[in-house]
Amino acid sequence: MTLRIGSAQGYYGDNVLAALPMLEDNQVDVICFEALAELTLAILQKDRLKDPARGYTFDISLIASKILPLAYKKGVPLITNGGGLNPLGAAQAIRETAHKLGLHGLKIAAITGDDLLPSLDALRASGEALAHLETGQALDPSEYPLVNGNAYLGAEAIVEALKQGAHIVVTGRVADPCLYLAPMIAHYGWAWDDWDKLASGIVAGHLLECTAQVVGGNSLAAMDAIDPYDLSRLGYPIAHVEADGSFILTKTAGLPGVVNLGTVKEQLLYEIHDPANYMTPDVIADFTTLHLEDLGDDRVRVSGVTGKPRPTALKLNFGRLEGYLRELIFTVAYPQAWRKFEQLKAMIEATWRGLPIERVEYQFMGLNSLAGSVATLPDDPLELVVRVMFSARDEATLKNAVRLLMANGLSGPAGMSISGTTVGAEPRVIVGLFPTTVQRQHVEPELHILEVE
Amino acid sequence: MRRLYDLAYGRSGDKGDVANISVIARSSADYAELKAKLTSERVKAHLGDLVRGEVLRYELDNIEALNFVCHQALGGGGTRSFRLDPLGKSLAGILLYMVWDE
Repeated sequence: MTLRIGSAQGYYGDNVLAALPMLEDNQVDVICFEALAELTLAILQKDRLKDPARGYTFDISLIASKILPLAYKKGVPLITNGGGLNPLGAAQAIRETAHKLGLHGLKIAAITGDDLLPSLDALRASGEALAHLETGQALDPSEYPLVNGNAYLGAEAIVEALKQGAHIVVTGRVADPCLYLAPMIAHYGWAWDDWDKLASGIVAGHLLECTAQVVGGNSLAAMDAIDPYDLSRLGYPIAHVEADGSFILTKTAGLPGVVNLGTVKEQLLYEIHDPANYMTPDVIADFTTLHLEDLGDDRVRVSGVTGKPRPTALKLNFGRLEGYLRELIFTVAYPQAWRKFEQLKAMIEATWRGLPIERVEYQFMGLNSLAGSVATLPDDPLELVVRVMFSARDEATLKNAVRLLMANGLSGPAGMSISGTTVGAEPRVIVGLFPTTVQRQHVEPELHILEVE
Repeated sequence: MRRLYDLAYGRSGDKGDVANISVIARSSADYAELKAKLTSERVKAHLGDLVRGEVLRYELDNIEALNFVCHQALGGGGTRSFRLDPLGKSLAGILLYMVWDE
């Protein structure tokens, strides 16, 4: 019997209500919500610092109040990693909402164990090098304050939760495609070393995990096929998975969108490195052996995926508080706009002399702000929009820098203006990512079951 | 004159300070041409100061596409980046702008 998996979230803030039409028309057997981009946990840490009961995504309350009642009634489990830094807190909040809504007998599973920040000293003592994946440099906790440190968990604890009858599973950092792989393993009983099937499930998860991006969103391939007024209500994707791991990717029926070879290829290669070795905690998937077949009517069949044994180490991402940055936007116009820019730059440099500003960069919006040196700059432009980006270790330096510069408002080049919204903005925190790996034995996922009486 | 966009489409995304750009051929003939001529050196040269590290090329004959992985390509990555597009969403378009032949 085919397993139908819907995907209703691809990032923190995505339109999770896209799950409702899937449920109302009985189009799915399970729905997954993927909420955690690389930086999301660091953002959630700011919430948790203000209130220890938080640290999970706000989408959780929307899922609990608007989607869970219907899903529970229809027997469709929900799986989300929106528990962020506090899956247990999220589970408690869900239980409270479910209790108010009278969802008696509801089982909520919370999965913890990805948060390794509390055991950092023990990890280092056990000989974990915690070397940066790109630079090879070892993590030095004294360099910058650490905001979070989370390992990427696999599907295992989610599978166990589903086997125990959980109606909603809330996790922290689980690798995106593994959220989707879990219900396939629970449903079909695939062995943990059946690498080809696991890899096929990972490919399905990878295609589903960015919701709209495989049904016409962010798509050059589908650009001509989609009415722009439909972009705000695309039918989110659904995979029909067979026991052998092969699957048909489609979209929510009755809603706009496009699924064809083009949209599937675009998403298949989205945010991947070596396509023959797509690393996940549960399997290494090979995208170079698979076969795509367009079945028409927004259905693409995917088969022939192969897999290799899972890696011995898990990815571990630290967020570090590296400082603050600020943006100011100035404008100058003809005549001699380039010369006026040079005057502006000199004025800024002189004003900031002696301030502990770490980096300053100038960009010309609409000219090279996306393309850098690929762009050809005009000789004698009618207008120049100058974006000045600068950073410092502390917020006060940036506020001081802006104040000093504003005191030169009438001293600048002829016709210079400044965008008021940028003057009024606050410094933004810089959370730098430090990606590394950790041996599996140091990571122990833990399953907690809460029930609504 | 043809640009790379005349032979291919694609999408770009981020992982830390690494960006990847897919280049998906419009036809089998286009794929053969891309595979022969769109080298990682040519991609790195085109992208100029946007990519400070190495560019690796991966081939997917099964779907007639290439994947370019560009290191140190996002101004530090994440919130560290000063880029207006810190996640590199526009990099695919910037690569497809490449003049293919005159």
